Amino acid sequence: MIAVLALIVGVVLGIVLDPTVPVALQPYLPIAVVAALDAVFGGVRAKLDGVFDDKQFVISFISNVLVAGLIVYLGDQLGVGGQLSTGVVVVLGVRIFGNVAAIRRHLFRA
Amino acid sequence: MTTPTPPPTEPRYQADFLTELFRDPLDPGYADAAAATKARGYRRRPLWLRIVAGATMLSIGFLLAVAYQHTQAEQPGRAKVREGLIDQINARRTSVQTLADREEKLGDEVTRLRDAAIPGPEAARLRTAEAAAGYRKVTGDGIVVTIGDGPEKVDPVTGKVDLTTHVLDLDLRLIVNQLWANGAEAISINGNRLTSTSTIRLAGEAIQVDFQPMIGPYEVSAIGPGDLADDFDESRTADSYRGLVKEKGLTFSISERDDLVLPSAPDPVLRYATPLVSKSPSPSPSTSPSGGRK
Repeated sequence: MIAVLALIVGVVLGIVLDPTVPVALQPYLPIAVVAALDAVFGGVRAKLDGVFDDKQFVISFISNVLVAGLIVYLGDQLGVGGQLSTGVVVVLGVRIFGNVAAIRRHLFRA
Repeated sequence: MTTPTPPPTEPRYQADFLTELFRDPLDPGYADAAAATKARGYRRRPLWLRIVAGATMLSIGFLLAVAYQHTQAEQPGRAKVREGLIDQINARRTSVQTLADREEKLGDEVTRLRDAAIPGPEAARLRTAEAAAGYRKVTGDGIVVTIGDGPEKVDPVTGKVDLTTHVLDLDLRLIVNQLWANGAEAISINGNRLTSTSTIRLAGEAIQVDFQPMIGPYEVSAIGPGDLADDFDESRTADSYRGLVKEKGLTFSISERDDLVLPSAPDPVLRYATPLVSKSPSPSPSTSPSGGRK
């Protein structure tokens, strides 16, 4: 409940403040979003599984975003930034998909 | 927990990491944490951890909103720039057109006044010279050669456009030179009169005549002697293009027309040769290229 409220407050804050993203950080924004979505769906599924853990959730979010950003940065330096971003999106996408499937099984028993 | 909890054995990431990922996408950390909690008995989570988790959710929401707005802001920006450029091009084009109309009108007036001021035989000589040089509007019987691109062929594998079905600058040059050779007295391409210093070039994929981009099909109008049409029709140039019509699907036609009106070319930009400083006996560096003959 608190988590959902916090999410909504965050969205509202983002809309109201409308911050400009520094140019250097712009390529990492989509990757960070995908990583954050992965953490959110992982957390929701853990909650439904009854194994939710705050510490695990916080650390998984921070490390997800940081590692995904780092991989893309490394790829940019090596000249394979686009391919590595695709890799990150594929892996995280698979996880998001699997977690959403688990959530669906919880909610609809199907 | 509905899915069977994998035992938290240490070598979790085997060589078959992807299969593992598809089978159990949940962070194994959750299972570990749950097992640890169970081991030391249930305890309420400390408040600060819950606040940190709330803050994390807040920052995730913030991130989503920022990313959404960023993506939204980027899209119309690009379209706006494009639209602005198109508007600018159209505005410039109309202003160029009005200026060109005005120039033509003023040019006609200058010619009229000059003809009135110069005595008869001199004016006639000037008129003939101007018409021959391409700086006076001329009318007369002649022919129109029309040539156009063939059907667009795109390589299905590489996506490259096959340029051999396109009309190139070389084609127009060949036709124009053939017409000059057959005795044409005045030639224009799509209403652009050619002079002895005119250029027909390729810029990217567009043909430029005197730096004016042309759009196909290209109409080469020529005023000349009565047998111009027959001479051109029998020339090898015309022959080879009739071959290209069969081979590549270009369009090519020759038609005789009476009372063609060819506009005058824009006034020439005068270039003055300056003598070299060093008196070396090298051949004179000619700055004005001598083009086709009248």
